[in-house]
Amino acid sequence: MTNSFPDKEPLLRVDGLSVDYGLKGDPLRAIDGVSFELRTGEAVALVGESGSGKTTTAMAIAGLLSPNARVSGGQVHYRGQRLPIDDDAAMRPHRWSETSVVFQGAMNALNPVHRITKQIAEPCILKLGMTRGEATARAIELLELVGIPADRGVAYPHELSGGMRQRVMIAMALACRPSIIVGDEPTTALDVITQAQILKLLRDLRSQLNLALILITHDLSVVAESCDRVMIMYSGRVVEDGTVAEIFAEPKHPYTKLLIASIPNPANGKKMIRPIPGDPPNLVNRPSGCAFHPRCPSTMSVCTTEVPRLGRFGHGRVACHLHPPLQENMVTVHA
Amino acid sequence: MTENIVKYPPRGRTRAVKRFLGQFLRDRGAQVGLVCLVFFLIVAAMPNMLVGPLQTAINATGDFLAPPSGQHLLGTDEVGRDVLNLIVHGARISLTIALLATVISLVVGSTVGMASGYFGGWVDTWLMRITDFFFVMPSFVLALIITPVVLEVMGRSGYILGFRLSLFVIITVIGMTSWSFVARIVRSQTLSIKERTFIDRARVVGSSNLSIMVRHILPNLVPQIAANGALVVAGAIYIETSLSFLGLGDPLQPSWGTLLSLAQRAGAASAGAWWYLGAPGVCALMVSLSFVLIGNALDDTFNPRRRAIP
Repeated sequence: MTNSFPDKEPLLRVDGLSVDYGLKGDPLRAIDGVSFELRTGEAVALVGESGSGKTTTAMAIAGLLSPNARVSGGQVHYRGQRLPIDDDAAMRPHRWSETSVVFQGAMNALNPVHRITKQIAEPCILKLGMTRGEATARAIELLELVGIPADRGVAYPHELSGGMRQRVMIAMALACRPSIIVGDEPTTALDVITQAQILKLLRDLRSQLNLALILITHDLSVVAESCDRVMIMYSGRVVEDGTVAEIFAEPKHPYTKLLIASIPNPANGKKMIRPIPGDPPNLVNRPSGCAFHPRCPSTMSVCTTEVPRLGRFGHGRVACHLHPPLQENMVTVHA
Repeated sequence: MTENIVKYPPRGRTRAVKRFLGQFLRDRGAQVGLVCLVFFLIVAAMPNMLVGPLQTAINATGDFLAPPSGQHLLGTDEVGRDVLNLIVHGARISLTIALLATVISLVVGSTVGMASGYFGGWVDTWLMRITDFFFVMPSFVLALIITPVVLEVMGRSGYILGFRLSLFVIITVIGMTSWSFVARIVRSQTLSIKERTFIDRARVVGSSNLSIMVRHILPNLVPQIAANGALVVAGAIYIETSLSFLGLGDPLQPSWGTLLSLAQRAGAASAGAWWYLGAPGVCALMVSLSFVLIGNALDDTFNPRRRAIP
């Protein structure tokens, strides 16, 4: 992935990032050599099953790795500068000011005993050095930006509906004018209508503030609605990366194909959910070669021995022995 | 964006406090406890206005061990002092000791419990072993051993804020021996609160550990601390009365326990002077009972799940 964007330095560049979680005995590799780039204003979805490493990837970028996590390889560059993602203290200026997070489950992410304006004002005071008065004014401004009337600012979290709480979380994430927002399944606990409203809000804010979005989700319908690009992760590795149109129209990797085939589509008579056979891989004892080979319908002998390289294929990237990287096909990714 | 937002009337802290008080005051126990407590607080606040200065053997006005009469509503003691006068002055001493001891207990207990739960690891291990030590040690026995030693070393004389030094020894001893169960409750709550996402969020936006504990965890602990604080007061009154009864109180500033002790030594029981033994005993009982009632009512109000249990 070196020098793949000679024309323009991306906002965020992740090169071969590997993160281990320290378990007694041997460490567990949560993500293994993840590489991707994110441009200003771009929305990328990280899609995968539980344990596929999507949250670890996003939290590493936001500087929020848990204390037992260790960066065992790779680098993250932000605006051309290397991020010290494994150094808690050195990440402090970056956190929230440049990359902020919309946590899932807003009820837990809001302190029940403080008014919402006070909670939104907190990062402004701590990060931007505002006085309490300035910070409160900024908090009210942010509330209006996410569609909550200013007079609701005095409310406590339990007095708000689920959708409004999620809006408060978004307002909080915007407090320090970051360039990247990580949405950690921001619509998981919401009903479909509220979900659509929150996604629309995120889309509007993105174009208004030129924000880049990393959306963690396992819901492909959310992806189609709100992202430019999709990265499919499996067992801690990126298996396919492409634009939303590409991934949905012609998925390359067998896992992606099965994933998309599993969405029921009543419109064309496909009313049954077709699950992917087999179990998610065990991260402690990851299958050799391509981690997906035990469940893959088109396994070849090479799949059990060699880890496929994430190479360029068409307009995107795919890591599969069925689609060996084409060196001559140097089409710009993310066109 | 705003078309789907329903407007609610603004609700604030006053409203929440009102709702809380409404529910709290509906509890019969809380009503009884509050009335009783307010009565004793008024008595303790102005003893001189109600019954005149504290009587001693020198300015005693009555007969020896006279039964209750119009002049001495609660009778007199063995040197002719008015028992009502002693009780009213004792209220101030007893309540001060109990409340100050509770403050110490809550401050120490909350600090240890929060630090233990928040930091975890070896901090937790060591703080909890120390807490266990105080927990298994019956606080009354510990107080019984520490108090005479400290009194011997420091002496009984000297005044702080109008109270004798020996009273502060008792306050400290009660405080230091009753914090352990507060620490345990606070620790368990802290363990659950610190796992919630808003603590991570506070850390991410740059709050220090101290600020997370004081501004994010402590306000969430107020229900537990308040409800248990009321129970600690009741316990403190009990320990204070017992210690004073055993002669560790200060005879120059008699608390209810000291009065009980004096009555016992004067042979009030065998002399049939029920008013001398009964009055301080009933007072101590009523005050600790009212604190227990208030504590239970607070617990019920703060914790809706408890109401389901009959």
